[in-house]
Amino acid sequence: MNVIRFIRLHVNSWSIMSIIFTLLILSPALSIFFQIFEKPNENWAHIQEFLLKNYIQNTLMIVFFTGLFSILIGVSLAWFVTAYRFPLRRFFKWGLILPLAIPPYIGAYTYHGIVNYTGVLQSTLRNEFNITANPAYFDIMNIPGAIFIFTIFLYPYVYIITRAYLEQQSASLIENARLLGSGPLELFFRVIMPISRTAIIGGASLVILEVLNDYGVVSYFGIQVITTAIFQAWFGMSDVASAIKLAGMLMAIVFLILFLEKVLRGRKQYSYSNAKVRPLEPISLSREKTILLFGYVMFIFTAGFLIPFVQLFQWMMMTYEKVVSPDFLQLIFNSVYVSLISAFIIMIIALVIGNFIRLSDSPWSKAVSRVTVLGYSIPGAVIAIGVLTFFLWLDRHLNTVYTALGIDAPIILSLGLGMLIFAYVSRFLAIGFNPVDAGFDKIGRSFTEASRLLGTSLMRTFFKVDLPMIRGAVFGGFTLVFIEVMKELPLTLLLQPFNFYTLSTKAFQYANDEAVHEAALASMLIILISGLSIFVFHAVLEKEKK
Amino acid sequence: MANKKFGFLSGLLSMSLLLAACGNNNESAGTGTASDEETKDAGVVNLYTSRHYETDDALFDQFTEETGIEVNVVKGEEDELMERLTREGEATEADLFYTADAGRLHWAKEKGLLQSVESDTLNANVPENYRDVDNQWFGLTKRARIIVYAKDRVQPEDLSTYEALTEEQWNKKVLIRSSDNVYNQSLVASFISLNGADAAKEWAQGIVNNMARDPEGGDRDQAKAVVAGIGDAAVMNTYYFGQLLNSEDAEEVKVAEQLGVFFPNQETTGTHVNVSGAGVTKHAKNKENAIKFLEFLSSEDAQGQFSEANFEYPVNPNVEPAELLASWGEFKAQDLNLSELGKYNADALKLMNEAGWK
Repeated sequence: MNVIRFIRLHVNSWSIMSIIFTLLILSPALSIFFQIFEKPNENWAHIQEFLLKNYIQNTLMIVFFTGLFSILIGVSLAWFVTAYRFPLRRFFKWGLILPLAIPPYIGAYTYHGIVNYTGVLQSTLRNEFNITANPAYFDIMNIPGAIFIFTIFLYPYVYIITRAYLEQQSASLIENARLLGSGPLELFFRVIMPISRTAIIGGASLVILEVLNDYGVVSYFGIQVITTAIFQAWFGMSDVASAIKLAGMLMAIVFLILFLEKVLRGRKQYSYSNAKVRPLEPISLSREKTILLFGYVMFIFTAGFLIPFVQLFQWMMMTYEKVVSPDFLQLIFNSVYVSLISAFIIMIIALVIGNFIRLSDSPWSKAVSRVTVLGYSIPGAVIAIGVLTFFLWLDRHLNTVYTALGIDAPIILSLGLGMLIFAYVSRFLAIGFNPVDAGFDKIGRSFTEASRLLGTSLMRTFFKVDLPMIRGAVFGGFTLVFIEVMKELPLTLLLQPFNFYTLSTKAFQYANDEAVHEAALASMLIILISGLSIFVFHAVLEKEKK
Repeated sequence: MANKKFGFLSGLLSMSLLLAACGNNNESAGTGTASDEETKDAGVVNLYTSRHYETDDALFDQFTEETGIEVNVVKGEEDELMERLTREGEATEADLFYTADAGRLHWAKEKGLLQSVESDTLNANVPENYRDVDNQWFGLTKRARIIVYAKDRVQPEDLSTYEALTEEQWNKKVLIRSSDNVYNQSLVASFISLNGADAAKEWAQGIVNNMARDPEGGDRDQAKAVVAGIGDAAVMNTYYFGQLLNSEDAEEVKVAEQLGVFFPNQETTGTHVNVSGAGVTKHAKNKENAIKFLEFLSSEDAQGQFSEANFEYPVNPNVEPAELLASWGEFKAQDLNLSELGKYNADALKLMNEAGWK
């Protein structure tokens, strides 16, 4: 009796779809997760003795400081843009997201190119002013340098989510605090930070995940982190078992972080208290304070976007003639094509899973939401191997079907673009899912329940009531995924079909060969297309508000 | 009504997945038809390469023009491509594996990814120590791992061998990149093969003690650090030095001009040399074309282009190195079958870790 009741309550098309999607997409990551418990071998002893301690230390240090600084910068910017008037405020609203358009490893190459011995800084000092500075001052290829690179190119995750929250949620609280005589600092630390906790942590966990699975920046800077150990074990020692053990440890760290987030969030509900959202009116400051504030915002924008952009532009002009070819049109097409398809698929899946979790009370529905990040928590190359193995297995089992259809080829699926897109979806689901989840969190269940009480079906309610309310979140998630896929490298390198190149692999082709100047054109195109998508996202949202 | 919408949604999703999967399979030119005519080549050769040079692309085009055989390429990183080949097994569509380190080529052989090839042309064009004993892979271009030094501070007489860099006078003056780097791994592997593991470890320890700074950046960065005064001598590949001298950036050219080139161990074991090379995969579907392709790349014409445009030494003894390379002089290379580099790679990596080489 209870079983039937349970089934009637919990099993519907949403839950079934959710489970299927989750299992399908996470099978590559899950297969890795379960191999942590394999018996260690002799390489493992070597890794433990000589590498592990140092690597974990470095990893935690980078993660901690990048997280901290991203939060400070992201939240302060979000607060300033929402609460105060200053010049170019309307531009900065979306301009401050632009650093996200620059892949961190390209940012790292660019900054190193600026500050190294032949870079514009030192060579200008040398040639124009005859000053030979101590090159050690210009060294960014170390842990602080990596923290700088990650922070300046990833803080927008915190900024976007926090700003959206502050804009819509905080008006009454902030105005009350002001009325009660809170100074700006008190307001920031005692009101803004606590109330936007969920948004901040959501953004910061994306930053941290991105840092944890990065390989490009750390390997270029020669910093040894857990990812380095994974690659050394896998490829240097041909020891898949140890590599996967390490990847499993990385996942364990990720889960610890996510668990902490859940604990921190506690039982607080952050749903709208009423349907009418009143935006916060920005106030004017004194002249001096406005200048100070503008200076700070401009400084972050300059470091995160303007400087690398101008440098890449100069390099592009330097190597343009050598590099450019009609192939670039194809590259642009390929990049945009896979990014659009992946973003589209991810948003559909995110909506299905998100809606299912919201409407269900069972604990395993929460578990589903936690595992969506699995794919985002391990280095791309490891995920890619998981996906490849999965597709080859599919091909093997579909072989009889191929023969029946008269196709005489051993592998079909694992040569196509489908495998690559599947891998993107598996990896970036968290990026698209997070905003949707937050969006559902915000609207809560009351509107849905009201609609259901009035006799509207679950499906109709979803399309007529829920979806319009979280439209912004869906669009935001779409844009983020689009940008991520544009920038993606390790999966693309491993799973590309024959003769399929993207802007990202083209930039890598040069950068990997230490030809940073030649990589500029492809890098610029990635940044321009991603930047454009950020602008469109912003423009559409603004239009909706009116 | 509602279910219709849902059906539409899921239909759309599966359609797009399916389209993505199948639609593009047709684009991966010729791969589908390749196995239709297993006995007769289908006019393509499929390549997995970790080399990303424009010279290579130009040579591939030239090959297609001359033979009508189309070259399909996947460009990735060597270890990942090997992993992909392993996982694909018999089903693979790749006919050739092409990479820039002899150690990795030897590994590919050890993992059973390659097959032996009989070709008189290749045997004539590629000297014995630059190809596999079973002809499973063939070196195509050479690079030497040399010492570059600051001309204003160091006399060439101060330099002699790799081993000498571990002596007291070089304390805090040596620049070399991280142990992650495959060229360094192969360098240490060559020492294991020539001098034994103990000597190699002693050397690694000595280098770590004498490092001017913790390893960071690529080969070019080591050269720049010498000119910047961080150290006096750097270990780097001839290939990157050639690139630096011919950079679009005038500042980089200036750096290269302040550096001297030194070939170490001329009186003893010889300078370390590594190759880029390729082998036919075990399950190649277009074996004849693959061999033709290798023969083409080892031909005098192609070898000349590698050297002129990409600053690599030709393996073909009939081809003179480009003018720039020739200007550095002739040198004695390590007398070593390069398979040894792969044999000792894992040992080399462990030993560098133990020595604290970051």
